[in-house]
Amino acid sequence: MNYRDPKLRDLLAGEYAMGLLPPRARARFERLMAGDAALARLVTDWQERLAPIDRTAVPVAPPRRIWRAIEQGTLQRSFPAPAPTPSTGLLQSLAFWRGFAGAAAAVAAALVLYIALGSGPARAPAVVAVLADSTGTPAFIATRGERAEEIAVAPVRPQSLAAQKSFELWAIAGGPPKPLGLVSATPGKPLLVPASVVTAAGTVLAVSLEPEGGSPTGLPTGPVLFQGKVLAD
Amino acid sequence: MLADANAAHLQELMRGVVRRDRAAFAALYDRTAPQLFGIALRILRQREEAEDVLQEAFVVVWDRAASFDAERGSVMTWLVTVLRHRAIDRRRRRAHLEDRLGSEEDLLALAAAATDEADRGASLAALQKCLGELEERPRHAVLLAYAYGYTHEELSKRLTTPIGTVKSWVRRSLERLKRCLDG
Repeated sequence: MNYRDPKLRDLLAGEYAMGLLPPRARARFERLMAGDAALARLVTDWQERLAPIDRTAVPVAPPRRIWRAIEQGTLQRSFPAPAPTPSTGLLQSLAFWRGFAGAAAAVAAALVLYIALGSGPARAPAVVAVLADSTGTPAFIATRGERAEEIAVAPVRPQSLAAQKSFELWAIAGGPPKPLGLVSATPGKPLLVPASVVTAAGTVLAVSLEPEGGSPTGLPTGPVLFQGKVLAD
Repeated sequence: MLADANAAHLQELMRGVVRRDRAAFAALYDRTAPQLFGIALRILRQREEAEDVLQEAFVVVWDRAASFDAERGSVMTWLVTVLRHRAIDRRRRRAHLEDRLGSEEDLLALAAAATDEADRGASLAALQKCLGELEERPRHAVLLAYAYGYTHEELSKRLTTPIGTVKSWVRRSLERLKRCLDG
């Protein structure tokens, strides 16, 4: 599809705002939007045009326990990764799911199962952890590097990162998060970390949004955007 | 204007959330959750699912607050977007889509000539006017999709019209709405 055709761009933006794009097309569109501010602007324009319809929904007070659950969920955000929903799905190779990263949680879960079953394709790098965003969309991947004592962490596709911000990687295993360094927002320049710090199964790897150059305090100061558990060997 | 003051207040709360201010987060929830819950209920028609979606959406709001861009749109629109996509996904995952004919009445109320309730604001009146210029069935397609989260397939069944026709109804309707609203 030619995403430069202005008419088509506006139409897709409208269909996206309506909620009519099927899941895969929507994921693709969201990836495009992340790197195309003008497209994101078209979407916002559509959202604002249609927003009055939202006001026709009758407000209903949600039960108080919902807020308590949200409070808890966001406080604990300083860790334990959300358990992925086990699900079956296609998965041939890293390259395959890189292309379909938008297929999100199911794919991440399938990957976990796949690796757990020990049936990964021989050429695929050994995946140590998949770090997903809060919707379950895989964003970063930790793989065993060429040297056994190193783990390489890199995004599976370019991640949007505001100016004067950095992504910082942390390992959490019981105690306070341990800083592992700044990780690039674009693939191809992996952060290498000592395997000994991260390979204990159950360790959580997390990426937080920090001021440029990393957290000034040695602990995460910004939101944890991506996280994932280290998989059992 | 009341609506503007409200939007400005939500912006202020949102800035607090970005600073990780829990009180601002709680206030943002208090002010917006009932409307958002109403929207989720309209799409899901199932209380437990709507509760789950509301909860998930606010956790995402906390996590992604920094990505909210005030230049690009209002806080409420952003919150609705986070929530609606989740609600629509949830609805699509259901094996069996229940019959939703009961929802017709408020739909028609919306599509009816603008009654101009003051608290619903001028933007709704303008949208209603433009919706009113569409033909009846394309208008229903737009409203069923946006307000109730219908997919193209469901629209096709519900409006007993081939899916290709339904798709082009929606596309043409979007073009006409845009011209009418922006013009």
